[in-house]
Amino acid sequence: MVERLTVRATTAAGSEVAGFVQALSEQGGLTERQSYRLRLAVDEIVTNIVLHGYRGQPGPVRLEGGTEGDRVWLRIVDDAPAFDPTTHDPRPRLAAQADGREGGFGLFLAMSGVDDFSYDRTDGHNRNTLVMRRP
Amino acid sequence: MKFQAKIQADDDARTVTIRLTGELDSGSAPTLNEMIGQAAQHPVDRLVLLMDRLDYLSSAGLRCLVFAHQKFGPGVEIVLVGTKREVAETIQLTGLDRSVTMQDPADV
Repeated sequence: MVERLTVRATTAAGSEVAGFVQALSEQGGLTERQSYRLRLAVDEIVTNIVLHGYRGQPGPVRLEGGTEGDRVWLRIVDDAPAFDPTTHDPRPRLAAQADGREGGFGLFLAMSGVDDFSYDRTDGHNRNTLVMRRP
Repeated sequence: MKFQAKIQADDDARTVTIRLTGELDSGSAPTLNEMIGQAAQHPVDRLVLLMDRLDYLSSAGLRCLVFAHQKFGPGVEIVLVGTKREVAETIQLTGLDRSVTMQDPADV
């Protein structure tokens, strides 16, 4: 079974996103720690879409996810200009953060917190797919 | 849980303490940044963040810590007390734990 949720791209979408991830995590039997990391990853990707993809303008963000075999998957789909997070190297910016300068931790947290992260551009949509292995 | 932040200065006003409750994300981070900005207008030695009731921290919350460093300056110690495991892991993952002091509640 595939669960789906569409939210408007605003920073206030966080609680809806959190509820969706929580339900999916429970369905898939993820640990609390895994559920937290998946929520954080999804939150960061959605926030990035809101702030940088749609640049604060309204736009849909669609979430879908399910449990298949030994994994829980969650896909985030948006219609913003093409952006592949896997090509984003956060290391220089992370180093800069330690000195107190502005920069982005979000994509780094998203990609390092899940067991697998992939991106594809399909039919004009960005599709970010996150996977957690079930315990 | 809805985010809340309460601020308190000690008697000699050299330490400012902010208790954080709930979830600190892109929606709630501006509230804390505003509080930090106001607190930093007064000279202090330490900023203490009571973290034991903070259930969630996203990158927007991490940027609040960076913002606090910028506003208070390098001479002010930033102490995080009682940080929950998942929140602490997020801070450690990005290396920000090296620019703050992380304490258990018993050490305060």
